[in-house]
Amino acid sequence: MASITLKSFTGLRHSSPENHHSTTSITTLPKSHHRRVKILASKSSPKLTGRNLRVAVVGGGPAGGAAAETLAKGGIETILIERKMDNAKPCGGAIPLCMVGEFDLPLDIIDRRVTKMKMISPSNVAVDIGQTLKPHEYIGMVRREILDAYLRDRATAAGATVINGLFTKLDKPLDKYAPYVIHYNEYDGKPGSAGKKVTMEVDAVIGADGANSRVAKNIDAGDYEYAIAFQERIKIPDDKMQYYENLAEMYVGDDVSPDFYGWVFPKCDHVAVGTGTVTHKPDIKKFQLATRLRARDKILGGKIIRVEAHPIPEHPRPRRLAERVALVGDAAGYVTKCSGEGIYFAAKSGRMCAEAIVEGSENGTRMVEEADLRKYLEKWDKTYWPTYKVLDILQKVFYRSNPAREAFVEMCADEYVQKMTFDSYLYKKVAPGNPLEDLKLAVNTIGSLVRANALRNEMAKI
Amino acid sequence: MTSSMAFLSSTPTKLPSFSPSSKTHFPINPFLSLKPQRYHFASVRAAEIGSGAAVVVEEKKDSEVKAAEEGNGAPVAAEVEEVGVKFEDPKWVSGTWDLKQFQKDGATDWDAVIDAEVKRRKWLEDNPESSNNDFPVVFDTSIIPWWAWMKRFHLPEAELLNGRAAMVGFFMAYFVDSLTGVGLVDQMGNFFCKTLLFVAVAGVLLIRKNEDIDTLKKLIDETTFYDKQWQATWQDEKKE
Repeated sequence: MASITLKSFTGLRHSSPENHHSTTSITTLPKSHHRRVKILASKSSPKLTGRNLRVAVVGGGPAGGAAAETLAKGGIETILIERKMDNAKPCGGAIPLCMVGEFDLPLDIIDRRVTKMKMISPSNVAVDIGQTLKPHEYIGMVRREILDAYLRDRATAAGATVINGLFTKLDKPLDKYAPYVIHYNEYDGKPGSAGKKVTMEVDAVIGADGANSRVAKNIDAGDYEYAIAFQERIKIPDDKMQYYENLAEMYVGDDVSPDFYGWVFPKCDHVAVGTGTVTHKPDIKKFQLATRLRARDKILGGKIIRVEAHPIPEHPRPRRLAERVALVGDAAGYVTKCSGEGIYFAAKSGRMCAEAIVEGSENGTRMVEEADLRKYLEKWDKTYWPTYKVLDILQKVFYRSNPAREAFVEMCADEYVQKMTFDSYLYKKVAPGNPLEDLKLAVNTIGSLVRANALRNEMAKI
Repeated sequence: MTSSMAFLSSTPTKLPSFSPSSKTHFPINPFLSLKPQRYHFASVRAAEIGSGAAVVVEEKKDSEVKAAEEGNGAPVAAEVEEVGVKFEDPKWVSGTWDLKQFQKDGATDWDAVIDAEVKRRKWLEDNPESSNNDFPVVFDTSIIPWWAWMKRFHLPEAELLNGRAAMVGFFMAYFVDSLTGVGLVDQMGNFFCKTLLFVAVAGVLLIRKNEDIDTLKKLIDETTFYDKQWQATWQDEKKE
């Protein structure tokens, strides 16, 4: 039953067919009985007369844009509230290859295709990865203002109403099927104005308003630990820019960050040099200096054109859902460990949540219930839990200490590791791989870790 | 303002670590050869950040100038130098250790290679260096053969642990024999004794210092912490 309703969305034309197969194969008989009972339960929710379901999406980034588009295509009356239409969000800006296909992104919003990465260890051992990439594979670097605007325009084209305003609070409904009342300040284009206070009644709310989500505060979603990411955009001379044509760098070491990494990512005509940390936030400027020092020879003569910082969630909030309000993207805390990747997961979770609402409301004709939105959480956790867990293990093992980071860079030199890393990053599936090679990899990993730790113990004796 | 204060407070702490007398095993020559480099670096640094428009950059430049004025002669030189000094060693050639220089009695002295790498890593931890494409570091610890690692690191530790296991084993075997009259060979056939043996071996392997007990507990918590954070949203549903 689930797969039939999903196929009716034109928006899902490009989602990978394997996903459908996996969801139908996982539903064994007893489970589908469960599913049937749940659908019957939501069928008891009242049919809406004279109007379609109204949903407000708070936040117009990748999560909000994707959610609004899917909702609008599903026949739901959608409004998208975004506070800054030209917001150039501080962001690494890397999107995996599968996002281009799944979200039909036009190739001209991708500024650069990164096909090589350099990992640099604390003792400056540099390893190039990317030789295993096929010619059509790359990591796309985008400007957030371009990507976000594109997704919002697509949502508008699908029938959503995009409003420039700042969400302030939402009032919980007084009884089971009563509407939520959202309060926001609508901006009328005059700079510096506080905006006009507007209230609106909606049946469900999707909180896509990022790491400092106000919607999350309103529903007492709880807090998460977060990293501070600090980045400087540096314009470097053309000959040095040539080196970063399609290459990104990752620096690891205690000097650069005690629990994350420093990076040099190429953007449209400049590079972004940054670092992040969870545990030592007051020292972030020191880490940034160290990152610039490690990259010094390659960014010599560059001018800093912008300094920016932003929190990055480390794990999901304790409550991602309350009645008919759901969180998606950074607001929910869907950023992976180890790489700190968030754009793809934001857009995908926005889409999944919207699909759950469309399905539960039968294309906007019925009221939705919490159980319908819980289906989105179920599907999300089931699909992406392995990815998140593997990245968490990698972070715990390889970002622990300098010896672990040395071992990490040594391991990256191995071709099998490169192939597995890129396959899982670009297609967001934890690929099983060859068991014999996995065994060899495990042995080599342990060997590298043992050697690096032995060297560190000797270092302590000096 | 606070960030410039933070920067000021960070520079003095860096200086003591760079006392030429204690850590370095190198002769005076590297410092002399670095003099021209030092000035070049200072002017280059100004060019890199001098024309920046961001507030952070200006603050940093001000505080750098302040540090130069406030300190005595030595700290000024040391502040620039501490970043400009590079790792140099006659045996470190083209980004790796030149094994030909580590020959002893016709064979490579792997212990000396390990010692050299340890010194290099220690130096770089205290004085991080820029990574340069023209002089890439390509040293891989796996060129040192496995038996060299075994001999140096594993065997002494193994001797220690086996010694502990033997002492515990002997005493336990004697104790059980004196209480039950069951000899060593018969003890090995008993399931309970086999369990005790397993616990003893695991204990000796895992707990080498008193702190290891806490470390193990923390590790076990760590492995399941992330799972708990993800499951938090489902605890709600079960309560309802």
